[in-house]
Amino acid sequence: MITARSLTRRFGDFTAVDGLTFDTKAGAICAFLGPNGAGKSTTVKMLTGLLAPTAGAVEVCGLNPAAQGLELKRIIGVLPEDLGLFDDLTVEEHLLLTGSVYGVGRQETRARTEQLLRALSLEQGRNTFAAACSHGMRKKTAFAMALLPNPRVLFLDEPFEAIDPVTSKIMRDLLVSAAQCGITVFLTSHVLSVVEQIATQLIMIRSGKIVWNSTPSELPQALEQHYFDLVEAPVVEKLEWLGSRKF
Amino acid sequence: MARIAEILKALWRALRRDQRSIESVAGNNFFIVTALLLREAGTFIYLIVGLVLLFPLSTDPLRKIPPSRLALWPLEKGERRLLRALSPWINPVTWGIAGVALWCARGKVSLGLWVLFAAIAVCGFALSEFPVARGGIWHRVPHFPGPLDQLVRKNLREILSTLDFYCALILTLATLAWRIRGTPLPPEAFTAVTILVVLALSSYAQSLFGLDGDGGLSRYRLLPLAGWRILAAKDAAFLLVTIPLILPLAILPGICAALAALAFGHHASVHQPREQLRWRFSTGTGVIFGLMQAGAMAMAAATAASLGPILLLPCLAAWGISLWWSGRTVGR
Repeated sequence: MITARSLTRRFGDFTAVDGLTFDTKAGAICAFLGPNGAGKSTTVKMLTGLLAPTAGAVEVCGLNPAAQGLELKRIIGVLPEDLGLFDDLTVEEHLLLTGSVYGVGRQETRARTEQLLRALSLEQGRNTFAAACSHGMRKKTAFAMALLPNPRVLFLDEPFEAIDPVTSKIMRDLLVSAAQCGITVFLTSHVLSVVEQIATQLIMIRSGKIVWNSTPSELPQALEQHYFDLVEAPVVEKLEWLGSRKF
Repeated sequence: MARIAEILKALWRALRRDQRSIESVAGNNFFIVTALLLREAGTFIYLIVGLVLLFPLSTDPLRKIPPSRLALWPLEKGERRLLRALSPWINPVTWGIAGVALWCARGKVSLGLWVLFAAIAVCGFALSEFPVARGGIWHRVPHFPGPLDQLVRKNLREILSTLDFYCALILTLATLAWRIRGTPLPPEAFTAVTILVVLALSSYAQSLFGLDGDGGLSRYRLLPLAGWRILAAKDAAFLLVTIPLILPLAILPGICAALAALAFGHHASVHQPREQLRWRFSTGTGVIFGLMQAGAMAMAAATAASLGPILLLPCLAAWGISLWWSGRTVGR
């Protein structure tokens, strides 16, 4: 479903993504993990056709994102890093826009909009403009937009950050049931506890390179510890002045 | 006082890195052209409307600090007031405007009028601190047929939240009132006012994506729509606003001028996108480009007034080519 071969992206002298090679099967939930600045969002942008790779090849559902961007956009759902919402549209209008632009029938769009608003507890805020929404509401709206066209592949950039526990559970359940129906989910996240519960494939990157790619059952130790060992170990700096009453 | 000095120093650094504040005063077509046309006769109007009010609305340096951050800083009430009063003066444009104002009004302006200028400037700064309101009326923007309905509605809300629209509206209403009550005007006068109305809106045509924000731009790139359709939704909103404003004036020259404004504006909107602020005047790409766009609009309107509907064809062709050409870039 998703195939990357020696996928590379350079910005001037800086190599953000360095020769990534991986496959993700249909119906998998692939968690793409790594520290800030490791190249996760750049990879998602290349997989969704927003950024052309400097070298290497990528295919999503048999389509080349760089050359067949429009065809690809019709069959994928994306939750981008910046959520991609318009300040001048309400929550409901965002969903109606998605339905009409992706060619979902009017009645069907209405029905799916109502269901998603209910499922994600957005009913009360349906007429709120995106600019006036809380971050959590904005994220839920962008998540609903990704689901509404019933895509074959879902790309989610940090879906669980800044989300309340109940919504996080609802989103997790929705993703698991989507994957069971054959939808491929490719997500980036820093919330390892959630990733551990739903992922069927784990890819870890550090400085643009893959350092681990396996199923969760193949992990030699707990995900968090493995992540610390392979990707980034926390360094604790003692701040002597903190709490010393010295201003 | 030391804290205020540090904040002002940081603001000065931020201002130096962002030259838009200086360009924005010089970047609105309406003010460029009225300044050139009115010259001495319009000094006072230009000073009051064009600079004294436009400057605070468009270029308040204090807006560089996010309001939530400013509210969190442990500053006394007096310190906040001092910061409010001093911050405009770190912008060189303030000194420039003050100098021009003194030079233009030397000996011609009474103390009362100076007080009025100052009051308008203070109102401008106060207005720039109001939060962006999206009231109930924003929900009542009509629906349009087709899959781009919500995009056109959004774009309409955007254009209605710029001061350019209200400037054009005042011109239309004033001319309409004159037409109803006043002495009859020659047809050329209506063409001239029509050009001014479209001119007032034309800077927006140079920054069609300016109010979409980063999130909006990334969403456009994710939508399965060809670039020209995204631009067409922008143009539809522009024309939906422009046509009612020119209906009581000169329709054909107005439509030709609007198409010329869009044909020029597409290029700037796509290749030199500028972020815009709500409830401010739109800032164009630059003076030269603005004058070229204004010239093309005036020429299209004047020729349409003399040649008739036949000129609509080349205007439509120019607009269509520009839409297709710039749409390719949006698609990429």
